[in-house]
Amino acid sequence: MTTEKKLTGASLLFNVLEQHGVAHVFGYPGGAIMPIYDALYDSDVEHFLCRHEQGAAFSAVGYARASGKVGVCFATSGPGATNLITGLADALADSIPVVAITGQVATAAMGSDAFQEIDIFGLSLACTKHSFQVTDINDLASVLHQAFAIALEGRQGPVLVDIPKDIQITEVNGCLDELVNLQNKVKLPPANVGSAIALLNQAKQPILYVGGGVGMANAIDELRDFAKITGLPSVSTLKGLGAIDPEDKYYLGMLGMHGTKAANIAVQECDLLIAVGARFDDRVTGKLNEFAPNAKVIHFDIDTAEINKRRIVDASILGDLKVNLPALAIPLAIEAWKKVCLQMNEDFAWDYNHPGESIFAPAVLKEISDKMPENSCVTTDVGQHQMWAAQHMVFDDPSNFLTSAGMGTMGFGIPAAVGAQVSRPTDCIIAVSGDGSFMMNVQELSTIKRFQLPVKIVLIDNAKLGMVRQWQDLFFNGRLSETDLADNPDFIMLANAFDIKAQMITKKSEVSAAIEEMLEHDGPYLLQVKIDAQENVWPLVPPNTANDKMMEST
Amino acid sequence: MNNYQLMITADDKQVVLERILQVTRYRGFLISGMNAKVNTGTNVGTIELMVRSERPIELLVDQINKLIDIKEVKVDNSASQQCIA
Ligand SMILES: Cc1ncc(C[n+]2csc(CCOP(=O)(O)OP(=O)(O)O)c2C)c(N)n1
Ligand SMILES: [Mg+2]
Repeated sequence: MTTEKKLTGASLLFNVLEQHGVAHVFGYPGGAIMPIYDALYDSDVEHFLCRHEQGAAFSAVGYARASGKVGVCFATSGPGATNLITGLADALADSIPVVAITGQVATAAMGSDAFQEIDIFGLSLACTKHSFQVTDINDLASVLHQAFAIALEGRQGPVLVDIPKDIQITEVNGCLDELVNLQNKVKLPPANVGSAIALLNQAKQPILYVGGGVGMANAIDELRDFAKITGLPSVSTLKGLGAIDPEDKYYLGMLGMHGTKAANIAVQECDLLIAVGARFDDRVTGKLNEFAPNAKVIHFDIDTAEINKRRIVDASILGDLKVNLPALAIPLAIEAWKKVCLQMNEDFAWDYNHPGESIFAPAVLKEISDKMPENSCVTTDVGQHQMWAAQHMVFDDPSNFLTSAGMGTMGFGIPAAVGAQVSRPTDCIIAVSGDGSFMMNVQELSTIKRFQLPVKIVLIDNAKLGMVRQWQDLFFNGRLSETDLADNPDFIMLANAFDIKAQMITKKSEVSAAIEEMLEHDGPYLLQVKIDAQENVWPLVPPNTANDKMMEST
Repeated sequence: MNNYQLMITADDKQVVLERILQVTRYRGFLISGMNAKVNTGTNVGTIELMVRSERPIELLVDQINKLIDIKEVKVDNSASQQCIA
């Protein structure tokens, strides 16, 4: 469709965004992106001003993960663009579809070390799925269309589009191309279903290993049907949590470094591992050459490059999980093994008995999980509180648990909750944070205030960089180095400064009432949960150790 | 260490060479030589890349193939060789 009207590049950008159904963007203005912010004025796209570009990037990530839509963020050139990088790296590691638009100095000034000029295009090579720099106004529309298509096709990921200031103000015919649908560029060979079926039929002790790819492929139903028809006992990665039906009694929980004893033992003992949208990450496998040592492997994935990357497989099933999972769903005769798994689930169930008055974070998180309304979405930061949330909260969909898995980025939780709340305004959004992580993007409380977002923040406060402190105690002879946060600010006062209602609890007896008050409160709320600084996350598989040699609470 | 020779054809975008070099280094392959015809005005760039690594070449081929602008990656077996070093 071509209109006679001349448009500036900046206006064209908003036309294309609207064409792709973008209703919300997160960003921060500055010199080299001013024409775009000027055009925003006349657009129907709603802009959420964050208080740091990293916050904008994480909000775009949270938005995408909670809604399944592409998250969009804006930043100016130079420092604005570099501030996006951590968020883009996070999106790359977790395969999240994000389109980042950066302003750039005018093309004539590029390469002259101009004011606020940085080669963000060069910097983007290592932290995006793909990137563009627009140097001809006639390419702008098609580049933007490609950016959306690439962010979503195959294995999803972040795409950056760098737009010099002169391109933003140059006039062009208001041409809106048809939406392109990029086919998967890498032609995948037809799935080798035959050999996989044979492996499935031979297996006596198979395990289904579920990763984040299931949620990204929107194949939750297909996975659950697959688990039901095959009867396979299953384990999940951090990013896969929520994919398996939480009621499935053969689901053994998360595997890996802080996985359940049942999940890790079952994987170590299995004779066939069926990896679905998972990538044998080192936090999952522990010592790689002792991971599932007796298992043959079937690997389902959309990304050819994940096959045989860390583990040589016996059968690979490349392509769309929605098609491939049903093709392999056959009933299996594995009753004896299922009984063993069921028994392990019983024998190694979590123990919430905890002596003394001080608050036990796993029990708090479990109680929140039990009491939160249906369709609540939990975000986390990174550290002990993140692992406790993963272990003790129950999710019925991966889009309801947003955590920085691949990158493990502190500062993720609050801005991701902002993005999630914007995308799902009526759902309860809960950010589980730690006292260290919270301070990494604390400025985003301002975004919560500005847009009156009813985000609930559960701040697990051990006055420590707890996860690092735990490692120093266990693996560095208790030589505590730079992990004490006894001088934290008064978090209640801090929250109040942003018009956020807040409460601190210190004793077990206060927990239930406080959780109820938080969940019933209409607006944003911060619940500061003081816990003992010495609490550790258990079980723990020490570094470079096989997953069955886990350390446990004593 | 194994030596490999890759023949890459790509959409002839200005940045494609940089992307290939970045991925090659990051994935643990040492570049021992290259011969590139890019920015030719024909839309097709061709890059011959000689690399060295302990790692199997499939790892690099898959990663280069994943770059959006790449059309094809072939390993030239006649030129690739194993050094017993
Ligand atoms: C941006 C960033 N810097 C450093 C780290 C390393 N790191 C991992 S966990 C952690 C401690 C987090 O402390 P806190 O948020 O209080 O969580 P806790 O472990 O105490 O629950 C640190 C410093 C990281 N993951 N991300
Ligand atoms: Mg802490």
